[in-house]
Amino acid sequence: MAIKLELIKLRKEYGSLIAVDDVSLQVEEGETMALLGPSGCGKSTTLNMIVGLELPTSGDILIDGQSVAKTPVGRRNVGLVFQDYAVFTHMTVRQNIEYGLRVRKVARAEMNKQVDKIASFVGLGDKLRRKPAELSASELQRVAIGRTLVTNPQILLLDEPLSNLEAEMRHQMRRELHRIQLETKQTIIYVTHDQIEALSLAHRIAVMNLGVLQQYDTAYNVYHYPRSTFVGSFLGNPPMNFITGVVKSNGGQRYLDQNGAIIPLPPSKPLTAVPDGKSVKVGIRAETVDVVPAGAQGAFSAELLAVEPQGPEAVITAKFGGGTIKFVVPTSAVPKSTGHVSLVPHANLLALFDAESGVRLMNGAGS
Amino acid sequence: MSDNLLELRSVSKNYGKTQALEELSLALPKGSLVVLLGPAGAGKTTTLRLVAGLESPTKGSVWLEGQDVTKWQPNQRNIAMVFDNLALYPNRTGYENIAFPMHLARVPKADIERRVSAIADQLRISHILGRVPATFSGGERQRVALGRAMVREPKMFLLDEPLSSLDFMLRIELRTELKRLQKDVGKTFLYATPDYTEALALGDMVCVILKGSVRQLAPAQTLYDRPADRDVARFVGNPPINLVRGELDRVDGRASIRFGNVALPLSPEAERNLPSGVKQVEVGIRPENVVVQRQANAGAALGRISDVEPLGMHTAVEVDFQGAGLTATIAGEREFEENQPVSVNILSETMIFFDLVTGKRIGA
Repeated sequence: MAIKLELIKLRKEYGSLIAVDDVSLQVEEGETMALLGPSGCGKSTTLNMIVGLELPTSGDILIDGQSVAKTPVGRRNVGLVFQDYAVFTHMTVRQNIEYGLRVRKVARAEMNKQVDKIASFVGLGDKLRRKPAELSASELQRVAIGRTLVTNPQILLLDEPLSNLEAEMRHQMRRELHRIQLETKQTIIYVTHDQIEALSLAHRIAVMNLGVLQQYDTAYNVYHYPRSTFVGSFLGNPPMNFITGVVKSNGGQRYLDQNGAIIPLPPSKPLTAVPDGKSVKVGIRAETVDVVPAGAQGAFSAELLAVEPQGPEAVITAKFGGGTIKFVVPTSAVPKSTGHVSLVPHANLLALFDAESGVRLMNGAGS
Repeated sequence: MSDNLLELRSVSKNYGKTQALEELSLALPKGSLVVLLGPAGAGKTTTLRLVAGLESPTKGSVWLEGQDVTKWQPNQRNIAMVFDNLALYPNRTGYENIAFPMHLARVPKADIERRVSAIADQLRISHILGRVPATFSGGERQRVALGRAMVREPKMFLLDEPLSSLDFMLRIELRTELKRLQKDVGKTFLYATPDYTEALALGDMVCVILKGSVRQLAPAQTLYDRPADRDVARFVGNPPINLVRGELDRVDGRASIRFGNVALPLSPEAERNLPSGVKQVEVGIRPENVVVQRQANAGAALGRISDVEPLGMHTAVEVDFQGAGLTATIAGEREFEENQPVSVNILSETMIFFDLVTGKRIGA
């Protein structure tokens, strides 16, 4: 596959603040890439530089191998859909969608043909005469997407496209975007703080924090093999648990010791390379813990604090050492009694991180 | 006198021609945490405002500790309303934040000190009283905000989506904290949210409000397992429950349910409570009860995967199953791809049946 977009050491400084810190990545043609991170992580600034609304302090942006870092906004042929839709309220749906073509002085007949096609594609075929005030939030969103798609951009950029929608509508629009993705084969850059949107729509996810690219990998690897405690804690619901302690051994059995609270570590290969005495954080995904009978092989003990029903499963909060952990079990497996529970983490998904830097110590499938 | 701290009796509220609430009845046992769950515009905030006395009902009455308070002013009711995002004064210490309402009321200094220290003990925040909010954790912030509301010794607390503006990690952390806190102080909470996961996690009882009416008041898990009607079933659960039109068949004492091109046998447990006259029903199947497998196994009907949506912990897959489109959730592994043929198993005990016309759940 051809590389559609390449960021090379892209950097943006505002005075002493580094908003985007030498971000490098490549997006293949037809792929959807999500820029995911909390507010202020640099994802919107990155997007704005790709569009041309901001100029990089240094670094380069290549589209189809050509540098566009100095190309003005209107000449980049990228289409941005704003978070608040930014449709023209005094224009009808048709006028909104055809706007980009009118600016390009496309002939009326051709313009009508294209607008009709796009309108039916985004499900607005029967709403072309309406004004934005008569439309629902999801319809406004469709106008904004249709208006951008009609110009046939090389890259479609979506800035938090679902954040103004109600939960129910969000699920529907997510599948709608998925359809648009499949049918247009557009290269899409999708900015979001919502892990579900990123996981469900993106082929690759760039997780950012404080301007720094934390991990750039397939959606699967970002979730299952986080490269840092930040990535582990930003994805997952509840987020990944981190338990700090010192690695020790006792007669061949290795374990994590947090001031006397102990978690046996599985003998699998990646973990064996960590020397005794090293301070680490053990990362355990909430859904990778089984409740087992007391005394079971490889189990650790924690004190049950809270059980929160969620329907098919329950979120359990338990005290371990000086902190708490949260894990998810099927409703049928919720412990009946209070007090202590015995837990076994799934050995193959257990992760070790450097206690200081938060960087993953072992190689997962993603690295 | 009953043990109910609060009772709403057939409360209706009209704004002009719009009926915001219709015959709403609700009782809160003393010391309980009841959640009002519903989408935006369902009537949650109106209900809270009626309890607080900021609105008066068009019909019906509001009772507090066995007294009719319908005509009472807000300040006579002594109810604390905790608004969105638990705002604190950023430049005041924890102590000053909690003491602030008493300063305004010109309470003597010694009394303020005694009261703040008692509340701080109860909330386990004595150690942060000298610090400013910027140094607080999310849980501490929540406790200080609640402490400030507690100084007036309110009879109960009303909370209107207090966690909605926080990021999701904090939200999950704080809902657990909030529930513990409520049990610690033993106060009665009425809590409104549009988020069913929050409602289920928090509520001793959850009251589903849709279009101004109470549809169901039940413990969290009951709401999920035995929804009162189709709308409740759809609102609680994600991905939403599958709803398909089905036909009940009873031949030689054996019952089956037919939908699409498939007839699935009903176990005696599944059939037992269905009234004998019923033929047409709407069948509700939770996505986790649609068991999709790669290998064809005995007794399973065949389907085809039409869409795969990875969601982290789970993957939602759409299955074309004998003419019906079903959503299934599977554990978060990369097992399936689009267009793959699969076998589909649905245990009849997990099916929920609804009346085709009224939408009410039928059967046990």
